[in-house]
Amino acid sequence: MSTLSDVISRRLSGSYVVDEWGFDPDFVAILDPLFDARWSIRVEGAEHVPHEGAAVLVANRRFGMSEPFVVARAVWQSTGRIVRVLGVPDIAPIGPVLRRMGAVQDRPDELAGVLRAGQLALVFLDRQLQMGARVGHLERETLAPAVEIGVPVLPVAVTGRELGRRWRVAIGGTASARTATGAGPLAIAETVDAVRAEIQEIIDHRT
Amino acid sequence: MRLLITGMGGELGTRVAQLLENDREVTELAGLDVDPPRRRLRRAEFHRINPRDRTRSVAFVRAFDPDVVVHLGIYEPNARTGPRSAAERTRAGSVSVLGAAAECPSLQSIVVRSGIEVYGRRRGCATVPAEDVPRDPTSPFGESLAEAEDIAVSAGWAADVPVTLLRMAPVLGPHVPSPLGRYLRMAPVVPISAFADPTFSLLHQEDAVAAVVAAATSTPYDGALNVVGSGAVTAFQAVRLGGRVPLPILGPELRLIRPVAELLGSPVPPHVLELLHRGRTADGTLATEVLRVAPRSTVAVVKDLYEWATVTHIRAAEAA
Repeated sequence: MSTLSDVISRRLSGSYVVDEWGFDPDFVAILDPLFDARWSIRVEGAEHVPHEGAAVLVANRRFGMSEPFVVARAVWQSTGRIVRVLGVPDIAPIGPVLRRMGAVQDRPDELAGVLRAGQLALVFLDRQLQMGARVGHLERETLAPAVEIGVPVLPVAVTGRELGRRWRVAIGGTASARTATGAGPLAIAETVDAVRAEIQEIIDHRT
Repeated sequence: MRLLITGMGGELGTRVAQLLENDREVTELAGLDVDPPRRRLRRAEFHRINPRDRTRSVAFVRAFDPDVVVHLGIYEPNARTGPRSAAERTRAGSVSVLGAAAECPSLQSIVVRSGIEVYGRRRGCATVPAEDVPRDPTSPFGESLAEAEDIAVSAGWAADVPVTLLRMAPVLGPHVPSPLGRYLRMAPVVPISAFADPTFSLLHQEDAVAAVVAAATSTPYDGALNVVGSGAVTAFQAVRLGGRVPLPILGPELRLIRPVAELLGSPVPPHVLELLHRGRTADGTLATEVLRVAPRSTVAVVKDLYEWATVTHIRAAEAA
């Protein structure tokens, strides 16, 4: 645990670390107490996240802004691993700040790069805008790199109120294609269906 | 093996020539450039030919009949020359030398010094592109590099030989005349962007040289290879590592400081501005596997850059 004075002295001497994706661990460590105060997150199924190596987490989201932060924090507090969240608006000043916290561009080649580097990635389904609606869709192209490279695809069900403090993040086991073998378009489409169905089931069983 | 080096007068070209001189498999070594080499070369033959002089370039290449062409005659704006002449020299030199080499009977492979500037930094672009990300240059230097790559690929196709495109991160080192290097070494204050302090990766000059030599002397690789130092730094971090004072500037793309920087002896071309404002990283894993090189970390490159003394004063009595 670095103290504030450690962080400041590293900043001033230039000896802090920022990685190629723009992630800044000291910056996140400073914001830690703020996040702690804002959200209280209960995590289930953290054992499904591999200890090392790449994986893609697919999570549902509703109409707020909290889900990316909540899921990333949930994974970090239960496994200690950093998640690269796909979907940073590439506009200063908000873009660079989010990149420091681990956000990356929402495009397939970015996801491929993150996975080849052995990192965890987080993609979101389309938003569920109505209360009680089914979980959103996911483009086949978005998940294609994961299936082609061959990394685990983990469903994540997020439940909580946007203005509330208590959130629940439930991570399921690896979702895989039901009938397709190999890594072609059918396998990708079936994996998308499987992960959406898993997330829906986790949410349904909870309520 | 007969080896031809373009851009042999530059820092990269001179060092590559020095290392290749020691390789016994290189039977003949010759090069051309607009300026003579920076260090003494033992057996390499240097021809002072302006890249824009097509007749002399072509005549020389045809007479030499190279097996391997190492095209380092890629001129960075504001490195050794101004922006307009840099682009013209790169284009003219690429067309004459690579075009002539493609028609030579002995040609077996071409190696080109390119840069990760070809990926560009458009909004929403991939942060750490691998070689399969499409090129999308967003700066004049990036376009110049992409054009040189296209000329090389066209020459390679015409001659049916492999073309290795070494896309290098910005090459820095104590003796490389890089506009980014000059900018970072400005003392005591270095302006940086206040809103965005993105990361960029660098490549040490010795690692750049090692990559070129590996590409020229081992089994030819056909395609692009990103040669990038590991890790990344931000402008603020680099300036602090050099003990300078970062001056945050609020303004779109730091345009305000360009004229000031130029007056202070450090002109800032658009691709350096883009690096400071939008960052520049790429995935260099494939090159480490194919060329078997292990580039120094970006932080090590920055530290080495600042090790170089600005001016070395030698008193007259000691110099004698």
